[in-house]
Amino acid sequence: MKKKRSKHEFRANTLPAMVTVGPMVLLLIFLVVAPLIFVAVMSFCQTDQYYNVVYKFTAENYSKLISPDYLKIYGQSILIALLTTIVCIIIGYPFAYIIARCKSKKKKLLYMLVIVPFWTNSLIRIYGWRTFLGSNGWLNSVLQNLHIIKEPVDFLYKTGTTVLGMVYCLIPFMILPLYTAIEKLDGSLLEASSDLGAKPYKTFLEVIIPLTSGGIFSGSIMVFIPCLGYFFVSNILGGGNTDMIGNLIERQFKSANNWPLGAALSIILIVVTLILVKIYQKLGGDMEDLGV
Amino acid sequence: MSRGKLFKRALSIALTGAMALSVFTGCGGSDSSAGKNGELNIFVWTEYVPDSVIKKFEKETGIKVNVSTYSSNEDMLSKVKSESAGAYDIVQPSDYMVEQMISQNMLEKLDFDKLPNFSNIGDSYKNPDYDPGNVYSVPYLGGAGAIVVNTKKIDKDIKSYADLFDSSLEGKLVVLDDFRAVIGMTNKALGYDFNETDKDKLKKTEEKLKQLKKNVVLYDSDSPKSAIISGDCSAGMIWSAEVAMAMDENPDVEVVYPEEGPYLFFDNWCITKDSPNYDNAIKFINFMMDPDNMVLVLKEFPYLCANTKAIEEMGEEYSSNPAKNPPEDVIKKGSYVKNLDSDILDKYSEMWTKLKK
Repeated sequence: MKKKRSKHEFRANTLPAMVTVGPMVLLLIFLVVAPLIFVAVMSFCQTDQYYNVVYKFTAENYSKLISPDYLKIYGQSILIALLTTIVCIIIGYPFAYIIARCKSKKKKLLYMLVIVPFWTNSLIRIYGWRTFLGSNGWLNSVLQNLHIIKEPVDFLYKTGTTVLGMVYCLIPFMILPLYTAIEKLDGSLLEASSDLGAKPYKTFLEVIIPLTSGGIFSGSIMVFIPCLGYFFVSNILGGGNTDMIGNLIERQFKSANNWPLGAALSIILIVVTLILVKIYQKLGGDMEDLGV
Repeated sequence: MSRGKLFKRALSIALTGAMALSVFTGCGGSDSSAGKNGELNIFVWTEYVPDSVIKKFEKETGIKVNVSTYSSNEDMLSKVKSESAGAYDIVQPSDYMVEQMISQNMLEKLDFDKLPNFSNIGDSYKNPDYDPGNVYSVPYLGGAGAIVVNTKKIDKDIKSYADLFDSSLEGKLVVLDDFRAVIGMTNKALGYDFNETDKDKLKKTEEKLKQLKKNVVLYDSDSPKSAIISGDCSAGMIWSAEVAMAMDENPDVEVVYPEEGPYLFFDNWCITKDSPNYDNAIKFINFMMDPDNMVLVLKEFPYLCANTKAIEEMGEEYSSNPAKNPPEDVIKKGSYVKNLDSDILDKYSEMWTKLKK
């Protein structure tokens, strides 16, 4: 009797769970957990004279990371990411507001305008900016033809150009969560606010902003974190003069060929990310808003 | 959840895992045996081997060629190491990297009975220091880290690497995104050895790099000519063949070989250890040493060529152009990258981080 029941249970509960969840669990173990553990282990390894990885414990990779040169690079990465996030909020918020408040036909069109550029490879779009901003590029020739400037201006290979490229690549990640938050906004609350005598700017600051703060937070996280790793933007538009954490990691795995040091840098980046997400949760953010 | 249930669930997950694993190993097994004298996998520099030449080889021999590309020797080395034997049959390492791969036992000896076209290679290019007797490698193309100048935009007369450190060039230079080339150039500007190992001298080099940091706006190894042609940069240190291509586009651009003697490189054809396609690989290398095929290469990528027969076929226009065919005395004065001890190399790496921070 008991045996029969357990067989039934196996068919009813365990088998479906095994078939449906099992592959997913395995996929996660093989493709996420195992590589992460591998990276963590490698960050404590040494290299031989040919820079082959030797599995022998050392904490030297982490002590190397505290050098002033690296600290400067972390600092400027965080600064660039912060600037990018702020610019994304300033441009993205009004845009998301307009989309959310539009009639449905226009709304679809505006929504597509945000999504469609995504269908082209971001590397190609960044090279496009390089052609556009170059000293013989479109922008300079238009400005010269309009007699606004006499000599071509050097737009390229500056920190500001890097920020521009980052904003361009990442702004959809800001607009989409903001749009969702503003869409959910209850119109009657806004009416109540104005009925009670609040001026529009006051309604905006004290009603709209607090109610959409979830969207602002999740957008910021989704812009800030990838920004730290987008090494190609600072290579192409920044000229490789202002390294970010992503450039450092890329170099250790490629030209410098020092994988353990690269692994240690990656671990630091993961730790920074986790701290940021924790802060986000502490501030009352919802993990579901992040789409993770 | 009862203990029995938990155990069963864990068991089921483990079983599914075993099943999935067997699928993966199945793939791996069939992959490695399929390559035997079949398709040829070659791993070469970007912008270095024209597609038309590869197509010609496929047409003549019926052997399919899969091309992958890299843009630094170290990149190639780490990829070859991390793949199983036979993932790449042919690689194209530079001088110092050939030496490194030989000492790590990563290359296969070449069978010169099957390479009759080796006779087309000039004697001065045979028997190099990095591979005495050409046991593992045959030379393909090379070049110099030449100085490029747009004479319309730069008034200063630039003759040496040291001149590139002049403060009048602030924000105007493009240099290779390659730490050995750039730091080696700085060593030379100070009158030191290209591969300097003296720590006190390297301290001075580090000081000198601070001026270079102000002058350089772009680090690019893939296509540094673009910034010169577009006018975003007006001078720099780039591959000699890239200067040649920029000169074709813009008549104001000139090539200058530094008084100190330039940085030189030479790339070679090699076969990886345990390549399953050894015979086809040898056929390919022999094909690439045929003068007619080298002419096709040189028309597209005008680098310094080891194939004297091909140079004869190219005629005056190629051989008299100093950017395409660097003069002999320049080559004599030049220096190659040498393998350094890892503590010195770490120092170079550190200086590079300082330059790019």
